[in-house]
Amino acid sequence: MSVIKVMIVDDSPFSRTILSDTLQEAGYEVVGEADGIDNLIETYANCKPDLVTMDIAMPGADGFECSKLLLLHDPGAKIILVSSMKDEDTEAEARRVGVAGYVQKPIEAELLGRIVQNVLAPDTLFDTLRATSLDVFKEALAQSVTRMTKTTATFADAVGSDGQFTSQGITVVIGIIGKYAGSLLMDLSFASAEQMTETILRRPAKNRDEMIAMAGEFANVVGGVACSMLNKKDKTFALRVAPPSIFFGTTTEVVSPNIQVETTYAETDYGRIYLGIGFKKGSVLWM
Amino acid sequence: MDVNSVNPILASFANILPQIGFQTIEKKGLSLSGSALTNKGIMINISMVGPLKGAILIGMEMDAAKQFASRMMMGMDVVDFDSLAQSALSEMANMVCANACTNFTEVGIVGLDISPPTLLIGQGGSVMLSAPKVIVVNFLIDGIPVDMYIGLT
Repeated sequence: MSVIKVMIVDDSPFSRTILSDTLQEAGYEVVGEADGIDNLIETYANCKPDLVTMDIAMPGADGFECSKLLLLHDPGAKIILVSSMKDEDTEAEARRVGVAGYVQKPIEAELLGRIVQNVLAPDTLFDTLRATSLDVFKEALAQSVTRMTKTTATFADAVGSDGQFTSQGITVVIGIIGKYAGSLLMDLSFASAEQMTETILRRPAKNRDEMIAMAGEFANVVGGVACSMLNKKDKTFALRVAPPSIFFGTTTEVVSPNIQVETTYAETDYGRIYLGIGFKKGSVLWM
Repeated sequence: MDVNSVNPILASFANILPQIGFQTIEKKGLSLSGSALTNKGIMINISMVGPLKGAILIGMEMDAAKQFASRMMMGMDVVDFDSLAQSALSEMANMVCANACTNFTEVGIVGLDISPPTLLIGQGGSVMLSAPKVIVVNFLIDGIPVDMYIGLT
């Protein structure tokens, strides 16, 4: 592996010097330094570092704001917060901003080295999730159709990956939270919902609300079953589903701008059920 | 949900919007609705899990959404509500909700987490949330009408 290039963001020249010495002694190359938000993007663009160390308390824009700006400029930027402050609030904020790591000053070279290695290592757990999640959700959907309606579902080979689709009638959105956050989208027509409701309740649906409630509950079961299956594969996923939000009643475009959603559909006795699933990368390592 | 506990969310709105180029944030109304809502044009859904569960939605009319996106993109013309505009609004909702989680920790509600945003484009569509009561807050953001729906239990 070639020498790892690091950029330092810190308002204090003294801190930059110490950090620079620590990094160089550990075998890294310090390719750029910025003292705040003003020269942040320009320095980053010029020196193209592998990772950035970021102070939190700086005059003007703080390390969180600088990190947000940098991640907007380059969503792949690897940022490690380096600060004497580290408590529950700053950790929570750091997680949400999406930085890759967080280490407290004064820094021990060995600890920093471990964090850098982790941050730069490929996120294999996320890759596993991405590679397996659609299949797991398909299995959960097929299982749920069989358990709840005693019929079977087959899946289309075609898989879309832009995550954008037009609703057939009812769209259920279920947020997923855990080591990685994501979204489950399920979509079906009112006709499908009506027939499914009739099968499950063993009587015709009384009204549209019953069909909508069925769709929400069905998606909730699919999401719950799938997340449990993924958590069994690796308990560090720690995935949990949020209550459903259900959209219906007009032609609706469904878009997930911030994540890559894979879509497919199941052919069932009740019609097509669209399934979309996507997760957001947030490789956060804390020491 | 206690109406007072919407304050961390409102504070987040007031905190984030000036950071992305908006100057005046006027709260025009606050009301309580049932779990059924109407989509005026676009709605951004963000789910929440933790001590509070449910969803926070931000909604606007299509013209308002284009104006809002234009303002976020330094006044760039937004003729179509294209992927860039969609991404800008979703990012705004994401920032507001993430910041709200941080604000909640300050009042002792710790461990909230949010899902990525999903954007629903369809004027006149209906929305059914899991929370039986939804708090609706109407804002004028630099003259652009924006609604926030808080359905948490």
